[in-house]
Amino acid sequence: MQIPNVTEKWSGTVTEVTIGATKEEGGTRQKVVKVGGASCIPFMDFEGSPGHKPVIAMDVLDVPPEDWPPALMEPFKDVISDPALWAKKCVDKYGADLICIKLDGIHPDKGNRGAEEAVKTVRSVLQAVGVPLIIWGCDDTQKDNEVLPKISQATKGERCLLASATQDNYKNIVANCMADGHNLVTQAPVDVNIQKQVNILVTDIGFPLDRIVMFQTTGALGYGMEYAYSIQERERLAALSGDKFLALPVLCNVGYESWRSKEAKSKDEESPGWGLAAERGPLWETITAVTLIQSGVDIIRMYHPKAVAAVKKHIDALYTDGR
Amino acid sequence: MPKVNHSYKVHFLPHDREITVQEDTTVLEAAHDANVYVSSICGGVATCGKCKVVVEEGHVECPPTTLLSSEELANNYILACQARVTGDLLISIPPETRIEGGKILLSSEETEGVTAGKVHGPLPGVEYRHEPLVRKIYLELEPPTLDDTLPDYERLKRAITLKTGIPMESLEAGLEILKELPSHLRQAGSRYNVPLQITATVAQRGVMHEVIRIEPGDTTQVDWGLAVDVGTTTIVAELVNLATAKVLDIEATYNSQMKWGEDYIQRIMYATERNALGDLQQSVIKDINGLLAILLTRNHLGPEDITAITCSGNTAMIHFLLELDPTLIRKEPYIATANFIPPLKAHELGINIYKHAPLYCLPSVSAYVGGDITGGAMAIGLEQEELLCLFIDIGTNGEVVLGNKEWMVCCSASAGPSFEGSGVRHGMRAASGAIERLDIAEDSSLNYKIIGNGTPRGICGSGLLDTIAALLRSGAINKSGKLVKGHTPRVRETEEGLEFLVVPAPQTATGSDIVITQADIQNLIRSKAAIYSAVATLLEAMHLKPSDIQRVYLAGGFGNYLDVRNTITIGMLPEIPTDRIRFVGNSSLSGARLSLLSQEAMTRVRDIASKMTYFDLMSNPKYMDEFISANFLPHTNPDEFPAVYQELARRHPSFN
Repeated sequence: MQIPNVTEKWSGTVTEVTIGATKEEGGTRQKVVKVGGASCIPFMDFEGSPGHKPVIAMDVLDVPPEDWPPALMEPFKDVISDPALWAKKCVDKYGADLICIKLDGIHPDKGNRGAEEAVKTVRSVLQAVGVPLIIWGCDDTQKDNEVLPKISQATKGERCLLASATQDNYKNIVANCMADGHNLVTQAPVDVNIQKQVNILVTDIGFPLDRIVMFQTTGALGYGMEYAYSIQERERLAALSGDKFLALPVLCNVGYESWRSKEAKSKDEESPGWGLAAERGPLWETITAVTLIQSGVDIIRMYHPKAVAAVKKHIDALYTDGR
Repeated sequence: MPKVNHSYKVHFLPHDREITVQEDTTVLEAAHDANVYVSSICGGVATCGKCKVVVEEGHVECPPTTLLSSEELANNYILACQARVTGDLLISIPPETRIEGGKILLSSEETEGVTAGKVHGPLPGVEYRHEPLVRKIYLELEPPTLDDTLPDYERLKRAITLKTGIPMESLEAGLEILKELPSHLRQAGSRYNVPLQITATVAQRGVMHEVIRIEPGDTTQVDWGLAVDVGTTTIVAELVNLATAKVLDIEATYNSQMKWGEDYIQRIMYATERNALGDLQQSVIKDINGLLAILLTRNHLGPEDITAITCSGNTAMIHFLLELDPTLIRKEPYIATANFIPPLKAHELGINIYKHAPLYCLPSVSAYVGGDITGGAMAIGLEQEELLCLFIDIGTNGEVVLGNKEWMVCCSASAGPSFEGSGVRHGMRAASGAIERLDIAEDSSLNYKIIGNGTPRGICGSGLLDTIAALLRSGAINKSGKLVKGHTPRVRETEEGLEFLVVPAPQTATGSDIVITQADIQNLIRSKAAIYSAVATLLEAMHLKPSDIQRVYLAGGFGNYLDVRNTITIGMLPEIPTDRIRFVGNSSLSGARLSLLSQEAMTRVRDIASKMTYFDLMSNPKYMDEFISANFLPHTNPDEFPAVYQELARRHPSFN
């Protein structure tokens, strides 16, 4: 009996986005990172090209975090107050593909640092590492609109990935990314329609589609991960079906979200039955990441080196052509 | 000691009408009692700020409000719904608060009357036999003689049967008619060999016909009925000559029930929780009686002259009107008390017309699709249509019917009242002074047309639709509907956010700017999104595409005119060739009028109501998704609006 061929034929391909620029390209990065390019759903590579492997961006905070549990502080305790050293450690020791500088310190409630200081931090990280950068604001609209343009100008030519543009606040960051040659994160909280609307709005003012990465906000294991999963899956299916406004790489924020959960952060003495905190937290982060990868994710922001190592191993196993 | 209740005189200008009211009555109530129209959308709870009046003399007690500007306060403006009478008053009603009566234009169908024994709907070719539900029949009865001793009642029935063909056994009359009959007949003449001339008024009640009035002489030319569209937001009444089928006059008011909620679900909850069904009923009866009083006074008629009334409205509104318990409408499995309401006595409900005049309600399909839709479908002739049609009635609920003479499916979506001018800062009904058309030229100049050619007082539905389309085309709003700061000097910042200046104060009747605010725009976009997503969901359920639709009939209280292109530009309708789209005005009212004038039309409405299949959107998981993707201009999927996207890109090269 002949078994019918049930492979799907997809019409769309996820747009390829290049982050970082080498000396020849007008930047200072030692290497660039390309994401996107998939023309099949993840791990169904008999239907099309899987595109570029998902990459890991490790978060570096501009100010030492106040609420990190000991298990998470441990690997970074020697570099926690120096973003440049922190970033260097992430790259050299833990193998981060990208560094995501999270500018918590500019938030009015968390230090209210000015643009100048933020620019200094970003510059120091740029000098310390050779990988491309993601630069993430503090999610306070007014402050981001004040600081991010300065950072955009200061990193002109580096082809960073700047975050983020939302439905209600996109003009300022789009204009700067356009002028300074950066990529852009467009953000819409778990809504594929609004995500698409934001993408249309930013392209309406002239921003090219092949410099956009989408962010749907992320839920950790046990905290709405399935919402993020199904939205990302829908996005990927729409992309492969030919919707050019959704055929863009996807980013998710696994580190921050996983370590907010009590399962990841509660101490040994608080939860004696849950296993060792030193294992539990990284595991929570790992499981969140590997699950979301199945839905079609291109950039994963992560925290803990153990989780990073496990997820990298997982990605390599899945993408090695050893089938 | 018991409190002494004082009463005071309130005099209204420019109407020059005076009324005596009890102390503590609100100025708004006093105006209602004096039959002076004062605009009010919230129905008297100080949220809409539309009932501004000026105290010329006297003093009122009023709580502080943010709805009046300091300039208005300085000029003795008050909110009529908040101000309580504590002494004699002289109040003047400023132009923006006044609806100048009689300025709603009649369309040609309404003035056409009977041609070749037929009455006409809003579209050419849709016509029904002229045979009103309540007819006046002039009769000449042979006086009784010793050879012909048939009693008066049987004599009357015999004459009616001979004249009309109505079988004698299906004719009946009430006790009061019987009592009056002998004297009326004798009044008509009793001389030997001279026929008794009388006019009998006969009302159809299903298979029966009831004689509801006997008048001496020939009164067939004094033959009036009332067609009423009982809308959630707006109530419109037409005074119709039943003999000629011509509409003599029309009047509209906002539904006073709005103080209990903008949509009828809120009102049902209020009625149920507060045991206040009676209040809701009295409110709508008062509104209808108010419209009646205006129409009768203006046309020198008396309540006795109106012998029939038809009402079309959604199922909930009809429940309120009849004081039927609406509770089950909003509870699974969503059941109405009745879809087919039998003819009732209008007088029993408190409607102030001839005491035996019947009230006919147009039948419903379901708890959420009512007589406004079945009547509308009849008015456009959907039950005779070969082509696949889409019929959309845009009101507080947007109902969508898909089908033709073979089959019909319908659904209902909550669209909100914004296209009726409510929930929009300077929105108003389509009455004189309303901006009904608007366009922004490529050189940014703004052109508009006003109903009645006066100075503008506000913007009605068609004008609002044009405004959104024009703002989008000119680039003053983006595809999310957000105003673009600095795009033109007309976009300006206020404490409440951005707004667009439509007409500056010196050119308005109100003396203040007419603007459209960011919140207004979002309300209108939500309304259009509800309509579009209902259409899309229904089409998908029937496995049809927009291109399969051969005719679109768009109904609603937008005004006298609608630029159908703009309904596509803003994404209210799918991209369909515009020559397939017709605007048919208030089709619910047309349905009520045609039913009043034609028994055939009423039969068709009943057929339609039995035939239509109701499709529930609320239990459909796709609807919400469709709604969010329609919450964009024109739509989140450019592929569904290629022509609009192209046009926008042409006008704004930076738009991709």
